[in-house]
Amino acid sequence: MTPLSYLLAAQAEVPEVIDRIPSGFSYFVIPFTVGVAFMFCWLGVGLIRLLADIPKEDRIKFGKSLFIPKVALKNIKELFCDCLFHVKIWQRKPLLGYMHSAIAFGWFMIIILGHIEVALFVPARLNVTRGGLFYPIFYRYFVWMNPGHTTLRGSFFFFLMDFFLLYILSGIALAIFKRFRSIVLGMRHTTKPSFADRVALYSLWMIFPLRLLAESFTADLSGGSFLTIPVNQFWHFLFGDKLWFMPCWWAYSICLGLFFAAMPFSRYMHILTEVLWILLRNAGVKPNHPRKGVAEAEIYACSSCGLCLDACPMNVQKKNLKYSSVYFIRFLRRHNEKKINAIADKCLMCDKCHALCPVGVDAPALRRAQRATVNNTMPYNYAYLDASGSVQPSEPGRVHSRFAAAENGLSPESAPADSTQPCHANPGVLYFAGCMTHLTPRIIKSVEKVFKAAGVEYAFADREGGICCGRPLMLAGRTDAAAKVIEANKQMIEASGCKTLVLSCPICYKIFKEEYHLEGINVVHYTQFINELIAAGRLDVKKTDEKIVYHDPCELGRGCGVYLEPRAALSQVGTLVKASKEYDESICCGGSLGSLTLDTHDRAKISQASLQALLSGNPETIVTACPLCLKTFSEAVSRGENLEQHVKVKDFAEAICP
Amino acid sequence: MKNNILIIGGGPAGLEASAQLQRMGYNVILIERSPKLGGHLAKWDRLFPDRVPADEVLRSLLDATEGVKCFTDTDIRAINRLDKSYNVRLTNGITVLSDAVLVASGFDLFNAVRKEEYGYGIYNQVMTNADLEAYFRTGEDRRIENPRKVGFVHCVGSRDEKAGCRSCSKVCCATAVKQAIEMKQAFPEAEVFCFYMDLRLFGRHYEDLYLEAQKEYGVRFIRGRVAEVSENFDGTLLVKAEDTVASKPLKVTLDLLVLMAGMRPSASGKALGELLGMNVEDDGYFAVRSGIAAGQRSQQPGIFLAGAATGPKTLPETLADARAAAMEVDRYLTEVFPDARNYKQLVKERW
Ligand SMILES: Cc1cc2nc3c(=O)[nH]c(=O)nc-3n(C[C@H](O)[C@H](O)[C@H](O)COP(=O)(O)OP(=O)(O)OC[C@H]3O[C@@H](n4cnc5c(N)ncnc54)[C@H](O)[C@@H]3O)c2cc1C
Ligand code: SF4
Ligand code: SF4
Ligand code: SF4
Repeated sequence: MTPLSYLLAAQAEVPEVIDRIPSGFSYFVIPFTVGVAFMFCWLGVGLIRLLADIPKEDRIKFGKSLFIPKVALKNIKELFCDCLFHVKIWQRKPLLGYMHSAIAFGWFMIIILGHIEVALFVPARLNVTRGGLFYPIFYRYFVWMNPGHTTLRGSFFFFLMDFFLLYILSGIALAIFKRFRSIVLGMRHTTKPSFADRVALYSLWMIFPLRLLAESFTADLSGGSFLTIPVNQFWHFLFGDKLWFMPCWWAYSICLGLFFAAMPFSRYMHILTEVLWILLRNAGVKPNHPRKGVAEAEIYACSSCGLCLDACPMNVQKKNLKYSSVYFIRFLRRHNEKKINAIADKCLMCDKCHALCPVGVDAPALRRAQRATVNNTMPYNYAYLDASGSVQPSEPGRVHSRFAAAENGLSPESAPADSTQPCHANPGVLYFAGCMTHLTPRIIKSVEKVFKAAGVEYAFADREGGICCGRPLMLAGRTDAAAKVIEANKQMIEASGCKTLVLSCPICYKIFKEEYHLEGINVVHYTQFINELIAAGRLDVKKTDEKIVYHDPCELGRGCGVYLEPRAALSQVGTLVKASKEYDESICCGGSLGSLTLDTHDRAKISQASLQALLSGNPETIVTACPLCLKTFSEAVSRGENLEQHVKVKDFAEAICP
Repeated sequence: MKNNILIIGGGPAGLEASAQLQRMGYNVILIERSPKLGGHLAKWDRLFPDRVPADEVLRSLLDATEGVKCFTDTDIRAINRLDKSYNVRLTNGITVLSDAVLVASGFDLFNAVRKEEYGYGIYNQVMTNADLEAYFRTGEDRRIENPRKVGFVHCVGSRDEKAGCRSCSKVCCATAVKQAIEMKQAFPEAEVFCFYMDLRLFGRHYEDLYLEAQKEYGVRFIRGRVAEVSENFDGTLLVKAEDTVASKPLKVTLDLLVLMAGMRPSASGKALGELLGMNVEDDGYFAVRSGIAAGQRSQQPGIFLAGAATGPKTLPETLADARAAAMEVDRYLTEVFPDARNYKQLVKERW
């Protein structure tokens, strides 16, 4: 056996690498080149269209953001962590994370290293007119290693190339395995691939094994390392001296071409779109339409990884899988109007899919935007906002009630004589219970008890009822109606002259914090406020050995990032036990206002799943800090289906001050 | 030979059925898990629509059960089906071999604590229809002290998907009207409001009761659900509702709020159903054999159902149901049960 390369006599001063084919071209590169060129054209046009759809000021904001050092740094970090290393998937499912990063990072490295090799050994070929588009990809085909002159530097690259090829192959092997046995990787559900997905998927599976074949066939010509050389020797052992390597290179090129041509129509589009989405996201531009502009980058950034399927609480029932974010996004891409609306309305807006999405796709926000396209145009009656006269900003310290007293022929005495309610000249603390808390009076009672025990001077903004905070309208996509309500409440709160606004409902808390822009007023959730009272020694609490599990309400936890304060306070009155899903993985109680169409039966199933997770540590008491969760869990526990142990359900304030 | 018949539940349905079957010559064993016979009827003061004393009705039901073997404070421990009969072990240690079983386990009152927005168990001045009946019986309740304004809330825990009950409880509209009148009789100065979704006064004389309440007693009927209730400093209640006739929100301060808690499937009935392997429908009440003509037959041969165990019923309906059940039991025990050779075939055809 005489390897071909030995036919080249070793000479001094000959280069390490010889550009074997003077034209630098071979027909087999055509499929790849066509595929990749097609993809670039498609993407270029898409990018221009997308940017054109973004409002001008957002476009300028986006352009500027790229040059702000802080944002640029964040961009780089996220591009590496999210696009290449897939850190977020690693954190949730290590094996899956390995798979994604092996393919993404491995491929990235092979491309980079290929270019470096060309730059080092045959720099002229980097020029596009001399094959720059394909040469670095098929480098090993075009060169001859000069055997006597291989340097350490050369071997180093051989080693790296083989190493990353092996790395990718291990990822591909896992991917193939996953298709058939997704359970092993910790995913209960995987997404159904479309036709383009399939083309791209199968060619992706083939690309790297073919590369190994092609490179190993030519390894005695163009060099190789621990992987390609032994395989090459194996081929020689099998087939003798003459190795017909052309078919392999053709196949390799065809698979690459197919993959890139199918890419814009497949889920793999996300690999490139994610880059744009990260840049847009970090620039702070938000989608204002469910499909156009920024949203387009966002929906094409979705990798259809299916992590949101497992995240979604609706999926305790298999029939609800179709309402998951991944399908919502797929239908948005396909402009399937009817299905989009049905899916948009179903979701609980618990935000879990957003929190767990490795790409950070904010599907709930897209659903809100979608709802707005339908619901914002509906007629809406604002008459009640000024039903009982407008607020009186001239009278600080008085909180005005808006409810029409004794209408409809009821005797006027049936309401208190004065419907404005006096409070302290400067109340300092203003408590706004909100409509949900008014439906769970034990929360109001407990909060007032806590305030009294801690000697907090406060005014009660809506003791006799107020108007809605606006968040439910917002969730339903009634953005304009919400804006009206917000304005009315804002006037009332600013007129009160308070310094701190305490809210016992996370739904109110989120919108007061994010949309009200109350200058100089500290907006806090009662868990934070009460925790501070305890920390400051103003509220005495008694530690018992009651086993408590804390439920993270969606709007408070994922919605506002408040996880620690309630736990800190509760650990002062009892022993906290863990839930099997908590913090940002907490499961919606099922009562969420977010869904417009989910029926009681489906909700009950979700409540059961949520309860099950909470009960995993055998607590005596479930504590929650949201009126809606409180109501939902109380109901679910009293229905008592499939519950072995008996648990109490308490509100946070109730647990602190029994 | 006299067949043994086991009747489970000593409420109006169980009592009436025992009396009928006893008269037909069967050997009736009636068991009641509480210490007292009478079921819910024993808790009521006067009955709609005529406001006759509940005790009188109960007395006549009890009188008719002369000779029935009665075990109070007794439930079922275990039950198994033999060839045709049931071998039943009771919690008092006795074992009964019974040829037919009639389940008359009745209903439970909806637990009003679950509708937290109405404040039952949280605010002092909130009570249920059952509490008010108890007050009329005993004249004692710390919540009632010459109230000036009283509200009745209809459909508490009924017709309310969120409370897990889609259907109407049938009896509470009439009860509310009846109790509103009784309240006016007891406290003529009081203003009385009824908050309803729609009034389901379907029975004979019910409409008369409603007109009487409006004309003679000035009870105010407001169409609209109560949205929420809060407590004022002085302990009175602030009730917010929507008047859907005037389509306006309204607010009223009350001294007393009475919740018309509805009928729910009985919890001990459910446990019993599990022992017997009996199916319940989506609403939680026992399923009857099938269709309109199925009457009082359950899905298991030899087991019959009567009264509120198969859904909300007024007293006259309950009693009629119990009599019909007695007829069905009799027909089964005379036509199907004795024919040992063709029993299986007959059950297939006739059950
Ligand atoms: C507030 C209210 C007021 C009403 N007022 C009127 C009225 O004025 N006029 C009218 O016509 N109707 C009225 N009704 C309706 C009436 O109460 C019912 O029709 C009647 O009580 C139904 O009788 P029952 O025997 O089916 O059930 P129940 O009265 O509930 O009796 C069932 C009995 O079975 C027993 N039991 C249950 N499970 C078991 C077991 N496993 N083992 C042994 N025993 C068991 C229970 O302890 C109970 O004693 C009213 C209902 C309500 C809710
Ligand atoms: S939305 Fe996010 S989690 Fe869901 S499939 Fe797309 S990338 Fe994965
Ligand atoms: S927001 Fe919650 S309910 Fe809606 S799709 Fe995401 S995980 Fe599912
Ligand atoms: S009878 Fe009247 S109060 Fe009772 S559930 Fe039906 S409609 Fe409601």
